[in-house]
Amino acid sequence: MKQRMIIAAMMALASLLAAPASASEAETVFKFYCAQCHGLTGKGDGPNVTKDFPVSPRNFTNAGEMNKLTDADLKNVIMDGGPSVSKSPMMPPWGKTLTAGEVDGLIKHLRTLCQCKGKQG
Amino acid sequence: MRPIVTTILGAALLFGASGAAGATGGEVFEAKGCGECHYTQGPAREKTIADQLAKKGPELWYAGSKFQKAWLSAWLADPKPIRPMAFNDLTTVNPGGHPKLSGGDVAAVTGFLMGLTSDAVKSGKVKPKKNPKGRQIFIKKMPCSGCHQYAGRKGKIAGGRSGPSLVNAGVRLNPDWILAYLQQPKVFKPVKMMPVFVGLLSDKDMLNVARYVANFKPKKKRK
Repeated sequence: MKQRMIIAAMMALASLLAAPASASEAETVFKFYCAQCHGLTGKGDGPNVTKDFPVSPRNFTNAGEMNKLTDADLKNVIMDGGPSVSKSPMMPPWGKTLTAGEVDGLIKHLRTLCQCKGKQG
Repeated sequence: MRPIVTTILGAALLFGASGAAGATGGEVFEAKGCGECHYTQGPAREKTIADQLAKKGPELWYAGSKFQKAWLSAWLADPKPIRPMAFNDLTTVNPGGHPKLSGGDVAAVTGFLMGLTSDAVKSGKVKPKKNPKGRQIFIKKMPCSGCHQYAGRKGKIAGGRSGPSLVNAGVRLNPDWILAYLQQPKVFKPVKMMPVFVGLLSDKDMLNVARYVANFKPKKKRK
């Protein structure tokens, strides 16, 4: 009985660890890492975007543009950076920084910002 | 018995003299309230984004491995903003106004901070020099310049504003710390806005970047 409870507790813990970040956690992650270039509200207007910035960071509130991308596209660019999708190296590869749950949470947060579901892959 | 009393008296006089001559750097650091924004005991404490955001200023527990003594001493006497934006803030431009130290406090606190070191920084690894490969990575291959200012062509300040400025970083930073930070970022800053490049850049590439950044120095004026 005791052993079963321990196994159940471990499974619950494992599912927690694998779970995507909650909406508020995802927003915190977005504001900490992504907002540097994409802005706190995701309009592509973070403090790094001066007139000399070589590219225009994606405006996540633009549903038209965001609907051209699948969730897998978003995951690729977050994990492997701009050059992985023929975009600017100014978009860093975050794959060694963020957990899988944080990346999944971020994708959901981006879909909240664009209020769009994205291209279905 | 007498020698023991003499020793105790002597020791008391010595401590007394030290107190009269001035407090130690660590005492000045605390008395001036520096510890309210900067922690000085390692290892790194931050585990979550909330931990990092709760800090009012950068951690200094490895200051002696990170900074160059001459720069630190001059900065404590006349602090100028290093970060274009306020610490942990993406919307407020750094207003400056870091408290200044004066007189003997400058040397005392410099000595204290330079004594705070990390074993993770191995000395003699990085020699600052012109480095086209490092430049290529810094400006083109990786997004370093997206967040860090540097002196571009003809000394024009280029680069982003969310990270600390690297203009004249070769005067401020210990070249070996730059490499150690790239190679083992979590030792120094477990939670930070900068991406982790371990596994993305080779050790050789990190060395090239460290050499390149360590060579950011003011241009010598021609006579």
